[in-house]
Amino acid sequence: MANDKLQIKKLFALSSENKKFSFSIPLKHSIRIGKRDYEVKLKADEKYGTYVLWKNRKYPVEIIRSRQNKYEILFNDISYTFTVETPFSLQRMKVLNSKKDKAEKEYIKAPMPGKIIDVLVREGASVLRGEPLVILEAMKMQNEIVSPVSGTVVKVTARANTNVMKDDLLVEIKL
Amino acid sequence: MKIKRILIANRGEIAVRIMKTARLMKIETVAVKTAVETNAMYLANADVIFDNTEDVSDIPVFLDIEKLIAIALKTKANAIHPGYGFLAENAYFAQKCIDNDIIFIGPSPDAIYKMGNKTIARKIALAGGIPMAMGSEGNISNEEEAVIIAEKIGYPVIIKAASGGGGRGMRIVRKSDEMEKMFLIASKEAEKAFNDPSVFVEKYIENPKHIEFQILGDTKGNVIHLGERECSIQRKHQKLLEEAPSSALDDNLREQMGNLAVQIAKAVDYYSAGTVEFLLDSDKNFYFMEMNTRIQVEHPVTEIITGIDLIEQQIRIANGEELRYKQSDIKLNGWAIECRINAEDVQAGFAPDPGKIQNFHMPTDACVRVDTGVQAGSSIVASYDSMVAKLIVKGKNRKDAIKNCKMALDKVWIKGTKTTLPFFRMLMRHQKFQDGSFTTAFIEKDLEKNYYNSEYEEMLAAWLATKLFVEENFKDNSNSIDFEHGKEMSPWLLNKRINQF
Repeated sequence: MANDKLQIKKLFALSSENKKFSFSIPLKHSIRIGKRDYEVKLKADEKYGTYVLWKNRKYPVEIIRSRQNKYEILFNDISYTFTVETPFSLQRMKVLNSKKDKAEKEYIKAPMPGKIIDVLVREGASVLRGEPLVILEAMKMQNEIVSPVSGTVVKVTARANTNVMKDDLLVEIKL
Repeated sequence: MKIKRILIANRGEIAVRIMKTARLMKIETVAVKTAVETNAMYLANADVIFDNTEDVSDIPVFLDIEKLIAIALKTKANAIHPGYGFLAENAYFAQKCIDNDIIFIGPSPDAIYKMGNKTIARKIALAGGIPMAMGSEGNISNEEEAVIIAEKIGYPVIIKAASGGGGRGMRIVRKSDEMEKMFLIASKEAEKAFNDPSVFVEKYIENPKHIEFQILGDTKGNVIHLGERECSIQRKHQKLLEEAPSSALDDNLREQMGNLAVQIAKAVDYYSAGTVEFLLDSDKNFYFMEMNTRIQVEHPVTEIITGIDLIEQQIRIANGEELRYKQSDIKLNGWAIECRINAEDVQAGFAPDPGKIQNFHMPTDACVRVDTGVQAGSSIVASYDSMVAKLIVKGKNRKDAIKNCKMALDKVWIKGTKTTLPFFRMLMRHQKFQDGSFTTAFIEKDLEKNYYNSEYEEMLAAWLATKLFVEENFKDNSNSIDFEHGKEMSPWLLNKRINQF
């Protein structure tokens, strides 16, 4: 393995929107814009917490989550998710993606913790994209959870007057 | 001054705001300490703290009328300021204060009741010839009745809760087969939120601007207005940014709408600070919507352009004093913008993002005012609203205010929760905001992306992700990070610390 690593000359950070950023390895502490290199520094102090210093400006940063090669980063109040790939893993991913079947089911999950106020659909009901499925109350706001797809409701796990955590399954819709 | 000590029946930034003015007026304040926010900033600003942390009741103390009266009596407060939200527009609470010889800093119970009930308010406005959107005479009891009215006035219509406010219990209906579902949702939501399922129907004004007038009245029958605020930047009928004045009004329209706002207030013998809300359509027709019988979240923008402290006026009026200003004394100077910095995830459709504030720095420029109830170490708790701070920026004119606001937004430093900052950064750069042509539909209709990031920010974030990957996987790679002021720290150590929160 050690030998493999030595051969890696490049790493790619792929964004959730499939934007590709490539960096040469060993990783430099600078980013090239046009013909100039600009120094990037990761810093931390009591007053500001962690931040990135770039072109004389501080940007607040936070690592929200990391699992294997997947990183969720909060940069200047915006979150970004990247998977970091080597040239080999990138190639493998391309092959896998081309074979992947299109999903047939849509799982509607709670976007935030809260209380289910009302469930507006029953199993077997057909729903249109944009149709409200569940009303979820969180921080004094009632939020309509709408269907992102058109299809048939195959399962309803949400129950009125119960509390849910973030990412709890609410409704399952067959396309 | 009769008022010697005020119990603040509220928390957060508005509690801090009221205490600031009370201190200038040499009036003492009492704050209530609750179990959910034992270290809250508003406690540090009070003269007396009533410890209510042992209270195990299900309803928050700020909604508990009997308890608040008892606290006022126990702490010898002879006045109560309700702030906004909670019991601020509860006529029964105002009456209970009076019954116990406590001065309620707000309007009369009768005015609160009449304006709080939308169907009564509509009747009062109708009797006074105030322009209003067409709609049902009173409450409607079922969807069939709603359909009949909707067919008469034409779709789209909006179903509203009679006792509503804050955007809850409202549903827009565009065709008759949506009515049954929407009627049920609105009615259920109204019952849940306001303990009153009654709803009414009115014509839905497409793409209006939200224009409201600040009014002040005293107990001697004098009522004036302090100009308008524009609050069209909303999501789910909740305001995000307010400004004063509005670019949609000229002096003529301002005078016309302002006079009607005063007329509505006079119709209920209104005293204290209040707000008359209108919708303004693209042809500059305006329609009375409702009157809010309390201090508003967005009151600072009016304070900035008029130079009048509205909390001070509320206290003086409650004290029985006559208004010190005539309508002709009110001059609007410059422009003010307020951004509500909430703990919300704009990328997840403004979902609440409660958490603990780690670092908190706000700009200190002369053109900036910050109203907040948090500091580093404070928690934004899920049991209350998601407000972190109000960033209020002034300028010579609208363009100047936008320029200053853009600058100020880049100086705000909040770590620990996601906030609405990226939304405002986008807004300041948006053509429709800059030219003033935005309406209440702006967030739903005119936005491709509801946040702003500069060209290189995503690349820098990608660099950081790659750096983390390298440090985790290539152990032989040096992980020396350059720290000029700060101490050296591996991002992995940082990650562990974050997971512990």
